[in-house]
Amino acid sequence: MTPLSTAVLLAFTFMPPPLLRGVLVCAAALLGSCLVPAAVYSQGQPAPSKATASKVLYTLATQCSLAGGPAQPCTVEAIDEGGTTIYRHRIGAQTIAVRITDSPVRMAIQSGTSTTWVPLRSAGALFSTNSICFNGRELCVVNPNYLNSVREDRKDLRLQGRDLVKVHFGPDGRVNATCYDEGCEADLR
Amino acid sequence: MSAPPISTTSWRRRTSLVLALALTLPSMTSPLAAYAVPQDASSSYLLIARGGGGGGARGGGGARGGGGGARGGGDFGGGRSGFQNTGGAAGLNRGTNRPTGGWSQSVRGNAPSPGLSRPASRPSGGINGADRTPAGLGGGTRTPGSLGGIDRTPGSIDRSNLGNRSNLDNRTGLSSGDRSLGGDGTFNRNGNLNRANLDGNFNRGNLDGNFNRGNLDRNVNGQRVFNGNVNSNWSRNWNVNNVNLSPGWARPGWGYARPWGTGWYGGWATPGWGWWGANAALWGISTLTSAAVINAAVDAAVSSNTTYIVVPQTNYQLLFGTVQPVGSQGVTFLVQADDGSTYNLTADCNTGTIDGVAPNSAAQAELLNAACQVAYGSAS
Repeated sequence: MTPLSTAVLLAFTFMPPPLLRGVLVCAAALLGSCLVPAAVYSQGQPAPSKATASKVLYTLATQCSLAGGPAQPCTVEAIDEGGTTIYRHRIGAQTIAVRITDSPVRMAIQSGTSTTWVPLRSAGALFSTNSICFNGRELCVVNPNYLNSVREDRKDLRLQGRDLVKVHFGPDGRVNATCYDEGCEADLR
Repeated sequence: MSAPPISTTSWRRRTSLVLALALTLPSMTSPLAAYAVPQDASSSYLLIARGGGGGGARGGGGARGGGGGARGGGDFGGGRSGFQNTGGAAGLNRGTNRPTGGWSQSVRGNAPSPGLSRPASRPSGGINGADRTPAGLGGGTRTPGSLGGIDRTPGSIDRSNLGNRSNLDNRTGLSSGDRSLGGDGTFNRNGNLNRANLDGNFNRGNLDGNFNRGNLDRNVNGQRVFNGNVNSNWSRNWNVNNVNLSPGWARPGWGYARPWGTGWYGGWATPGWGWWGANAALWGISTLTSAAVINAAVDAAVSSNTTYIVVPQTNYQLLFGTVQPVGSQGVTFLVQADDGSTYNLTADCNTGTIDGVAPNSAAQAELLNAACQVAYGSAS
C-alpha cells in the first residue's frame, strides 16, 4: 500500500460519519449517479432537496377511489424529478402523492400536508381496467398513461399476456414478491 | 506525545466500512447500490439462484413468459441465470417514458372504476364473449331456402330424440334412405338408413338443443370473403420492421388506453356514416361488421400477442397497433393485403375515404370501418 492510499484510508477512518457519507456520495457522483442513494435515504424521512429540475409529464383528468370507496373524479399530475417520479393525486380537497423510483423499484406515499414519505407495502396494476392501486385499495386510480408507459418499457415476456400485476415491498422498501394474474391468488406458503 | 485513545470497536467498524466501500466503488455501475441491499438480501438471492427465475403461477417458462425463460422473468429477470439485473424487474416502473401516442389528458368515456378486481372471465378472452350475431359478421345471407329450411337459431333444434341411437345398429345401407329435403322446410329422415358402422354407442349428445352456432367464426365456415384488393394509389411495401406494432396502449383495456381523446366516430349503424348508405347496394352488402366484433377481435389478438386482426369478411390484416388518429376524424394505419404487401393508409372516418378515395369494394369498406372503430369506436 502506498503512503498516499494509507493516508486516504486513515482520513476516511477517522472522519465523522456525516462527513464520511457526504464524501462517499460525492465520490459516487464522479462515477455516475447520486440519485439512487438519495432516494434510499429518503424512505420514511422528509423529502430530499431536489437536485434535478422537475418536469410535469402530464396532468390527467380521471377517476380515483379511496379505501375501496366509490370512484370519484380526480386529477393526476405526473412529475419527473430525475431519478424519481411523483404522482400527485388530487381528490376533492385531498392530495395524495406517490413517489416511484427505479433501479430498484421503490414506492412511497405522502398524504395531505405531511412531508414524510412512507414506504408502500404493495402496489398493483390491472391493465384491462387501466387501474393502479397502492397499499391494497388505500388509493386506486385509473391511469392509462402510466400503464402505457410501463407496457411499452416491458416488451419482453415479463408482461406479455399479463393483465394483473402485483408487487409487494419488503421492510427495506424493495420488491420482495411479484405475482401475475391467477398467481396473485396462490398461497405460496 | 501520545495519540488520543481510539475505541477498538469503533475503529474496526469504520475500517471495515471503508474497506468495503473502497472495494466496491471502482466496480459499481450503480454507485452505492450496496446501501440498498440489506445484509439478509444476499441470503434470499441464494435461494432464488437455486430456484431459477421468478414469475407468477403462469410464468414457469412457458409460452406466456414469466420465469425461467431465456429472458429471465418475474421479479428476477434480465439475465440468463434468471436473477440478474434485479433493478426495475418488478413488472412496474416509474412510468416516465413517453409511450407511443403520447400522454392522455383525460380518460375517455365511462372508464371502469379503479380497482384490481378481475372479472370472472378474462376481459381479453376474446371471441366467445363477443356479439357474433350473423348481422355483425357481415349479414351472411343464410336464407332458409339455401340451407334446406333448417331453422338454425340457437335452441331451436330439438334433437332430444337422437340422444340414444342404440336402435340404429342394423342400418346396413344408406342408399335406400329417403333423405329428401321437404319443400316445406322439414328435414325428412324417415326411411331405411343403413348405418351399420355406427354402433349403438353413437352419441350425438353434444348436438342437442343447446347447439349454438353463435360463436362460430363464419369466416371459416363458408361465409363470403371479399378479396383484400388494393387501389393503385395505395403506398405499398411499407417496412413493418421499422414500425412499433405493439404500442403501450395495445393491451388489455386498450379501448380506454388509447392516448388520444375521443375523435369523431359515427359508426356504421344509426345514425350511420354518410358514406355508407349510398354505396352499400353497390357493394352488394347490407351491413358492416359491428363494433363489438371488431373489439373482440382486437381483444383476442391482444390476448394471444398477435399484432394484427383479420378484418372480418376480408383478407386484410389490420396491424391495429399502428392505428393513429389524424386530426379529429382521420386515421392512419398499416394493413397487409393478400398480395403480400404492407400498405400505409390514411382514412377519413367521416367522409369515408381511404387515401382520399372512396372504397371501391365491400372489403375496403370493411377495412375503413375496422380502422375507424379501432381508432375512435366505443371501448368494450
